[in-house]
Amino acid sequence: MIGQAALGLYRTFARHRAYAVVNIGGLALGIAVCLMLGLYVRFELSFERWLPHHRELYLVQTELHLPGGAFNGAYPGTMAGLFEEMRQDFPGLVGTRIRGGKDGGAVLRGGEALPMDVAQVDPSFFDVFALSMVTGDGRRALADPDGALISRSAARTLFGAADPVGQPLTIAVDAPQTYRVAGIFEDLPDNTDLRIAILLPMPRKAPPAEWAWYRWGTASVSTFLRFPNAAAARRFEAKMPSFVRRRAGQELGPEPDKAITLSLLPVSRIHLEPQGTETAWRRLTVTTLGIVAAMTLLIAIVNYVNLATARSGLRAREVAMRKVLGADRGTLIRQFLAEAMLTVAVAALAGLIMAELALPLINAANGLSLGIPYALALPVLALLVLLVGATAGMYPALLLSSLSAAGVLASARSPGGGRAGTRLREALVTMQFGMATAFIIATAVLVAQTAHVRRSDLGFRRDGLIVVPSLADKRIFPDQSRAIVTALRDMPGVVAVGAGSVGVGGDGAGMVDVVEVPGRPGLGPSIKVASVGPDFFRAYGPRLLAGRLFDDRHRADDAGEWTRWKDGRNIVVNRVAAEALGFASPAEAVGKTVGGSLPRTIIGVIDQLRFFSPRTPDQATYFQYTRDVPPTPVAAIRFTGDPNVMMNRVRQTWRRLSPQVPLIAETADRRLGRLYQADDQAARLFGIGAGLAILIACVGLWGLASFNTARRIREIGIRKTLGASASDIVRLLLVQFLRPVLLANLIAWPLAYFAMRTWLAGFGDRIALSPVYFLAASLVAAAIAVLTALGQSVRASRAAPAWALHHD
Amino acid sequence: MIRLQNIQRRYVSDEVETTALHDIDLHVAEGEFLAIMGPSGCGKSTLLNTLGTVDRPTGGRYLFGDRDLAALDEKALAKFRGQTLGFVFQSFNLIDELTIEENVALGLAYRADAGNRRARVAAAMDKVGIAHRAHHFPHQLSGGQQQRAAIARAIVGDPKLILADEPTGNLDTANGEQVMNILSGLNAEGATIVMVTHSPSHADMAKRRIDMLDGRIVASAMRDI
Repeated sequence: MIGQAALGLYRTFARHRAYAVVNIGGLALGIAVCLMLGLYVRFELSFERWLPHHRELYLVQTELHLPGGAFNGAYPGTMAGLFEEMRQDFPGLVGTRIRGGKDGGAVLRGGEALPMDVAQVDPSFFDVFALSMVTGDGRRALADPDGALISRSAARTLFGAADPVGQPLTIAVDAPQTYRVAGIFEDLPDNTDLRIAILLPMPRKAPPAEWAWYRWGTASVSTFLRFPNAAAARRFEAKMPSFVRRRAGQELGPEPDKAITLSLLPVSRIHLEPQGTETAWRRLTVTTLGIVAAMTLLIAIVNYVNLATARSGLRAREVAMRKVLGADRGTLIRQFLAEAMLTVAVAALAGLIMAELALPLINAANGLSLGIPYALALPVLALLVLLVGATAGMYPALLLSSLSAAGVLASARSPGGGRAGTRLREALVTMQFGMATAFIIATAVLVAQTAHVRRSDLGFRRDGLIVVPSLADKRIFPDQSRAIVTALRDMPGVVAVGAGSVGVGGDGAGMVDVVEVPGRPGLGPSIKVASVGPDFFRAYGPRLLAGRLFDDRHRADDAGEWTRWKDGRNIVVNRVAAEALGFASPAEAVGKTVGGSLPRTIIGVIDQLRFFSPRTPDQATYFQYTRDVPPTPVAAIRFTGDPNVMMNRVRQTWRRLSPQVPLIAETADRRLGRLYQADDQAARLFGIGAGLAILIACVGLWGLASFNTARRIREIGIRKTLGASASDIVRLLLVQFLRPVLLANLIAWPLAYFAMRTWLAGFGDRIALSPVYFLAASLVAAAIAVLTALGQSVRASRAAPAWALHHD
Repeated sequence: MIRLQNIQRRYVSDEVETTALHDIDLHVAEGEFLAIMGPSGCGKSTLLNTLGTVDRPTGGRYLFGDRDLAALDEKALAKFRGQTLGFVFQSFNLIDELTIEENVALGLAYRADAGNRRARVAAAMDKVGIAHRAHHFPHQLSGGQQQRAAIARAIVGDPKLILADEPTGNLDTANGEQVMNILSGLNAEGATIVMVTHSPSHADMAKRRIDMLDGRIVASAMRDI
């Protein structure tokens, strides 16, 4: 049976190459796209699942419930001292903190600082994260205050082929300290958000610079806990409000658990969980790509089934002949099913090959290292072969084997399932084009939004600007940072150097203040505080909406001395803060004093400075000024001339003044580009998936158009004999194809509307979902359909009637 | 060998009833070569399809030897066709995707007792003079060659009865003659043949001829030998 089916298939494909390419190629492409996107989705869903006992591990989140709600959300960190306090209150609690991580410290060698992913952890780290050790005893190493563990690749980077164990290593986290390498652990896999190349013991007491170690509401470390089961975790979580009341009451006043709660998040969910005020866009992106994968495969399957069933009508005569020769119905059904399954198997194999060939490109373009897990992929593909093969084979198998052999052999025409068959195919084309049109709309919106984000007004000029976040490094003392800012300012080509606690890039986290508004009951809105030094506004150049900016001539502008805050200080607010404080216009805010016992007078209102990800909503912020360099400053260098030359100058200056701290400096453009990376990656994958899905749908339509036109050639002959012109025929055939394509909009429009509305909601600054996208996409889909069917129709319309009448 | 008694075939569609065969009584002896003639629509092909069991009569009895075929279900009839009958059609009905050799082998595909298939296929092709085209596809052959291949497919299983539905209808005179000579030769070797034809000269090559009109046998004549 299989041999006969294989031979039949081979001959069909050899004779009808275009059909084979369209049918098998389309399905293979669908399988390849689904496979690739599926791999990406699987990768995104697999984060931290590689950890032994990952089901028992939880991250403690700090949930803020501040007035106004602008900064409320669950943050993936806690104050550094939380774990110590928890252990005092809950003896026997198993957990660890991770302080640092990505670029969390630097290895000092030969006067140079090499930034590395350094994490300080508690000695119980290995009770939570059972990392595989290459050599050494991890637990014992972390119990030693001078012990360090390094990853296999860090060992190679730092020591080459030499044995690192026992070697000294000077590492600066807060201050340089010499450790001894006590062991090597295996590199962490790609599917983790833990960035650890070097593990160091957590300091026994708060380092001098860490003023917020026991400060509730801060989130400077990640605290992980391990529980034997989910019920135990839930029980522990239920005790958190009373724990917060007991521990935070002194700092946060009565009912601290109304402002801050602690919750537990399973480690496997961390990667896709929204952080803080973010929307759930990561989860949404992964879900969307999953849907694209499924829909592309569905389109390809519909395509395949459609073409296969349509063409099977042409085989009615063969089936009748086989019946005449003694084949019974069961034999014929088995033959059709075997053929269909073989075809799908060929397509699956081709899809697998396509995916293997495309994966290196996808990986390179998106910084991924995905591979096909054959142990999973092959059974899934086998199931697909059975299901799709059965679906595609069953209809013709049942239909054709039921036809009367005598009737088919006597008839001049091949049956194709009659009106029911045509309706089914039309329904399938409608569904397929519905999905394709939805993809076109989604792609258009996606491209428009991505372009909008790139073009959008950030409130400052992004070219001619270099940002230096490493000025905020804990190891740089105030004197040194002053000297660095001065030296940067003196470089040729520099227009201004401003330092502020905020700057381009970063995650948008920072200090939040609750600002009382006179005459308004309650606590007042939560507003972010940005401390800025001289020239900050000169470097960024925000639009001044009302009032003035800071000026050294006004003594009250300087808020550097916090002891004088109760006497009042001047602040500049942004537009959103002015609105949050209840002012009808920027001008109305100027001169007003807010802040209750710590009065703050608004001297100016500026437009938004959008420093963060386009997904971060516009934040209400007030700026306070210090004549000195503010604490934890990010420097902004406004310059003229070649950015590369300027970057070299920055590098030289930095190396001269602060060799022990690695320089992190980038142009604003580059830094902003990184914020768009995740979106770009998702948009690219979406674009590839959607583009190929549309292609598959078009190819399918082409196949069906040529098939249907071929079937109607005799009809065309009759119509022409009766006086129809070539254009009448073209119109007749086109209308037949446009009907399902136009009906498809009924599926596409609502589908795309809801999907894109949800997606756009994740952006702070977004385009409007205009009907133009929908109309344009439908026009494009209709144009594609017309172009696809046009060639076939024109050719058919030109056929000589005499030939057409004898065509079978 | 074959006995039809009061065979009727009625078609009912959209409340219109058409009777294609009226009380047909027919006996076909073993080794006979019977030609059926008559105008279009007289029921010739229906009668042939009934004999070939691809169409079921709505009344009457069909005895093949001692077997009453009315009692057989579809599966049994399929097996019966594969083992007992050979068909030749006006439009050849070769499968485009298969070579001539494979098309001929199809005549044995649904038989469990086919023996040495390759040898039988070769012999059948040889017999009709088509062996040199074994590896060609139907569209590469002339009409006459295609019909000879179809005859090879019909005889490859040594059927007890060959049913030919206007086997020369799509052929020119020379090719028609050639096909008729093959059929006569087969009959001379002992094959039983029932043939529908429009051609009086081809009908004359049969041993007996019946004429049909409006679903009835209106005349029967034996050829003088």
